[in-house]
Amino acid sequence: MAIFETIMNYLVIIFASNQFAPWIRGVLGGLVIGAVFGGALVMVYLERKFLGDMQSRIGPNRVGGRFGVLQLIADAIKLFTKEDIIPAKADKWLFVGAPIVALTSGFLMVAVIPFDYLYINGNYYAVAVSRMDISILYLEAVSGLAIFATFMAGWGSSSKYSVLAGFRNVAKMIGYEVPLGICIISVAVMAHSLDIVEIVEAQSSIWFIIAQPLGFVVFFIALLADVGRIPFDQTEAEEELIAGWATEYSGMRWGLAFFAEYLHAVVGSFIVTLIFLGGWNGLPIVGNLYIPGIFWVIAKVIIVMMLFIWIRAALPRYRIDQVIDIGWKVLIPLALLNLVWSTIIGLIWT
Amino acid sequence: MTHEATQITSPTKPSEILLHLGPQHPLQPGPFLLDLKIEGETIREAELKIGYIHKGMEKVFEDRTYLQILPLTDRICYLASNSNNDVYCRGVEELLGIEPTDRAMYLRVLTNELCRLQSHLLGIGEYATDVGFLTMFIYMVREREGVVSLLEAITGSRLNHNYARFGGVANDLPPGYKEMALKTLGELKKQIKSHDEMMSSDSIYQRRTKGVGVLTPKEASELGVAGPPLRATGVEYDLRRMEPYLVYDDLDFKVITQNDGDVFSRVKVRLLEILESIYIIEQCLDQMPSGPYKQDVTPYITRPKAGEVYARIEDPRGEMGMYIISDGSDKPYRFRIRGPAFATAQALPPLLLGGYVADVAAIAASMDSCTSEVDR
Repeated sequence: MAIFETIMNYLVIIFASNQFAPWIRGVLGGLVIGAVFGGALVMVYLERKFLGDMQSRIGPNRVGGRFGVLQLIADAIKLFTKEDIIPAKADKWLFVGAPIVALTSGFLMVAVIPFDYLYINGNYYAVAVSRMDISILYLEAVSGLAIFATFMAGWGSSSKYSVLAGFRNVAKMIGYEVPLGICIISVAVMAHSLDIVEIVEAQSSIWFIIAQPLGFVVFFIALLADVGRIPFDQTEAEEELIAGWATEYSGMRWGLAFFAEYLHAVVGSFIVTLIFLGGWNGLPIVGNLYIPGIFWVIAKVIIVMMLFIWIRAALPRYRIDQVIDIGWKVLIPLALLNLVWSTIIGLIWT
Repeated sequence: MTHEATQITSPTKPSEILLHLGPQHPLQPGPFLLDLKIEGETIREAELKIGYIHKGMEKVFEDRTYLQILPLTDRICYLASNSNNDVYCRGVEELLGIEPTDRAMYLRVLTNELCRLQSHLLGIGEYATDVGFLTMFIYMVREREGVVSLLEAITGSRLNHNYARFGGVANDLPPGYKEMALKTLGELKKQIKSHDEMMSSDSIYQRRTKGVGVLTPKEASELGVAGPPLRATGVEYDLRRMEPYLVYDDLDFKVITQNDGDVFSRVKVRLLEILESIYIIEQCLDQMPSGPYKQDVTPYITRPKAGEVYARIEDPRGEMGMYIISDGSDKPYRFRIRGPAFATAQALPPLLLGGYVADVAAIAASMDSCTSEVDR
């Protein structure tokens, strides 16, 4: 592990000495976007393989050896070479713009996600493209942009299935952004900050999953609905609405829409990791061994992703009216209760 | 409720949409068109249009000799091919005035129940995907594999078995069959109990299915619905018990009923019937007499005396009947099939009214209709 330490320190000194220089942000941004992009690819692969194992199937096993590691490349080639169809009656700009908005919202979220917090030469440096005072608020705001994408796609496709899926998505999002927001407020209250880096630092003694378990449960359920995964995938319920808002998409446009969803799921896993699972704060089980914080973050993100996939394998789908019911009648009261709890604890704590 | 074919009216309010589900839709086992008038997500009117894969089988049968018809009966519905063979053979046997041998009767009951098993397993599996439970589909298909292998070992084919013959069956059991069957079925019994537990105890699943698509006994009998959808309403109607054919008289089994008539009950009936069918098969294997599995002389050119017959059996999906009129020649003069899936399909539109779009998948799949049989 000493070698990691040396490499990390070396890299960080280069970056940290120019933390605010524009070019370094550009490089870091490129790296981070690449990393999250890679993370989404890993999630797609994990989902196929892990879900296959749980459903007593094999999963991808042809392209790229026994474990099908190159299956995604094959899929991408297929999507790129497919005919790109824009339906004659579609609203062209809305139709074309929707996947771009979806992907952009995902990438904008990446900008404030910190991967590590390093102490070098007497200074602390956050390994993030951009460190803001209100980064958690920014995340919440930017993630809301994804609703526009699904509604644009639903309305612009001029297909009844797409429109229904767009309506469903808007109804669902309105219901679930509220508990999501309240949970984030609870966390911010407890950490006395809206900055994700400080929220993580506030968890150095006790993770927020232990300090406010109710908040974690509510947040996780709302997040599942937010990224549209089973049991909340009504917007693309295959047996009801074919492919939901992406029904009319084909080729790479569909690929982008599909990919944007996984990107949101990955970023969602990052948020859970950072605000509830202690981020780069490791467990004491490793003793005196030095493990860079980034490894903790990535390990926790992968665990959260596995949890998403596990839930998908284990549960059927809710009906849309039940989803709305749960959002307004169950999650919001629970989130408010959690806010009260975290406020009291937060006051005592300081 | 009137059950005349209702024509869907065009939307009058701006909040209403006409939604065409089909003829190609992931929900469907085969092509049919379901026209829905929806307001928001609530279904106001529904109309079922069938006939996309009409094959004209009944007319085709009138131009084939009795023996030539036999393999074609498989194709009425591939999930019930064994039952279809059987009901046809029973009809012709009655016209000819012959009886299958004792061993053949047991073999037919055995294959019929295996056929019921695999039909129910796939039915529940498809239904599970329709409520978003993909894992259950794959588990069910995995269990079905064992049952299909058991059928394959007897009949030599996996889907279109063509096993029954006039007065007997095509061939005897292979050696060591009993042990193989008991092993597979014992495993299946355990798995089904665990799957039943996994599905029935799930709160999301219960909320999706309880009280949804409720069929009352009165409506069911008016629409001609039989089989699991009828038994789910609490009516103890099972031809195996009401009008025992083959050797069902000598076998011990319960007629599974549930009381609510909703989606949950219909699937529960199927799940429990799987266990009951396994019990019947075990009895068959124990009690099966030795002896010939077919008549000494099988008539290849069959010329029944002039007359008419209506034979019916309990299909996996309900009451399957065949009406044959013979004019004394080697081809039937008139052939008519009364399929169970047709009745369950026509019960679908009234059940959808007032429900949500999301319920269409659950209700349609829980009725376990088969388009191939509807459009025979």
